[in-house]
Amino acid sequence: MVEFKNVSMSYEKGHEVLKNISFKLEPGSMHFLTGPSGSGKTSLLKLIYLAQKPSYGEILMFNRDVAKVKREDLPALRRRIGVVFQDFRLLDHMSAVHNVALPLRIAGASFSEVSEHVEELLSWVGLGDKMNSNPTALSGGEKQRVAIARAVIRRPDIIVADEPTGNVDPKMAERLMYLFVELNKLGTTIVIATHDDALVAKVGAPRLHLIDGKLLQVKGSKEDISEFIENEGISR
Amino acid sequence: MSQSFDFLPTINNREATKLLPWVMAIMVYLSALAATGSLLLNAGFEDWAGSLQGRITVQVTGADKDLIVAQSFEIQETLQRTPGIKSVRILSDEEISLLLEPWLGSGNITEDLPLPIMMDVLINNGAYINLGALESKVKQISDSVYLDDHGQWLNSFYDLANMIEYMSVGILFMVLIVSVCIVIFATKSSMSEHKKTLKIMHLMGAQDKMVARTYQKRFMYYGLKGGVIGLVFSFLTFYGLLNLFQNLSEGLVEMPTLPYLKMCILLLIPVLFALLTMLSARITVLRALGRMV
Repeated sequence: MVEFKNVSMSYEKGHEVLKNISFKLEPGSMHFLTGPSGSGKTSLLKLIYLAQKPSYGEILMFNRDVAKVKREDLPALRRRIGVVFQDFRLLDHMSAVHNVALPLRIAGASFSEVSEHVEELLSWVGLGDKMNSNPTALSGGEKQRVAIARAVIRRPDIIVADEPTGNVDPKMAERLMYLFVELNKLGTTIVIATHDDALVAKVGAPRLHLIDGKLLQVKGSKEDISEFIENEGISR
Repeated sequence: MSQSFDFLPTINNREATKLLPWVMAIMVYLSALAATGSLLLNAGFEDWAGSLQGRITVQVTGADKDLIVAQSFEIQETLQRTPGIKSVRILSDEEISLLLEPWLGSGNITEDLPLPIMMDVLINNGAYINLGALESKVKQISDSVYLDDHGQWLNSFYDLANMIEYMSVGILFMVLIVSVCIVIFATKSSMSEHKKTLKIMHLMGAQDKMVARTYQKRFMYYGLKGGVIGLVFSFLTFYGLLNLFQNLSEGLVEMPTLPYLKMCILLLIPVLFALLTMLSARITVLRALGRMV
């Protein structure tokens, strides 16, 4: 599904934010991406959802080398990825229902074809009464849920979520996590960046831990991370 | 293949492209003025030149009216015998007075004004007349006879017509270039304004062509809207100008008219601008999106 081979990345004139990272996400797997702020989580997600190119190394998405994919074929790959952005990135001039319908509209469906399905999903995330509200009229948590609904509406092959439960109450966080787990059970690959250790422990999915741009693949124990830090000589 | 849909916000007061239809209206207005002027002058030149081609004007002057009348008949006979000449008609005093009226005013031509004798000579189609030789021949009858085939005047006339036409095409071309630049600027400004929306569309897998289609549709509408407004105002301006000109020039020059086919060319100007606006927007969007990852 996703494979990183010795991937490094640095922004223009900046220092290296990701250092020689290699990992593989099998189809239908679920991973948490953890690490302190500034460790490179968002940069790693950007590479997965094809918003950035690596400086070095090779990325395979859906068994295709991203560097060799023609530019005109990239949108088709992007349509197979659902993204929940940390800052939601909802379109303020569109209502919640139109925001959620966006991936389907981009794929060529008319609004009337998809509205029922979209409304159903919005009701499920508890926004049945806010469907026609614009994002400016929604709270942070409500925006978060609209963003998640938009990411999952098209049943993508992989869902990448950057702090998807950061702005919602614990009950809603659990409910949203349940949605991700259910989608995962249906075969969707899930990568969730989070700071919420309790949530990671509760779901029990493998963890990709980033520290200072370096990747540690662990099953979730804090001891593993401590060992990695000591071995790499990384200062906390 | 994803179909296009308008994902951009509807135009509001802050939108940079809000003024675009009005800018395009001014551009179309200027273009239509240049094109209408050029077409009208062209039609007028053709009418005026056509009425002079294949004709020679003969003028016999002199103080002794009886003498110049007698000489005129002799000259008329000589000309009629010349191969290539179709007809020679001596203009009546009334006709000559009518020709002078626009300059001297009605009723100001008195009996004692020494009017020349004038002849209108028609030449057969395609016939060549050696004007110099013909003039020498008739000068044997009267020293005060002058022949004019309007060649020199017509040449200057054609030079002027060509110059005006080139100028009109030049103005039209410049207006088109300026319009394209304005559309490119407006498109870039709009893209910058909706940067966030475009980025999201891009990351969700929208094809560049789909985004471009949204822009080109919107800009084509701006171009067409502005074009129609500009064309209507240009017609109103010309209508007013022609009326004014007709009142001033009554009897001096006949006003040219535009055939329907040429009128149709003018109707195409807004369409041309709409297409130009659409294409410029499309190319600008595609080039800008092409720079994204």
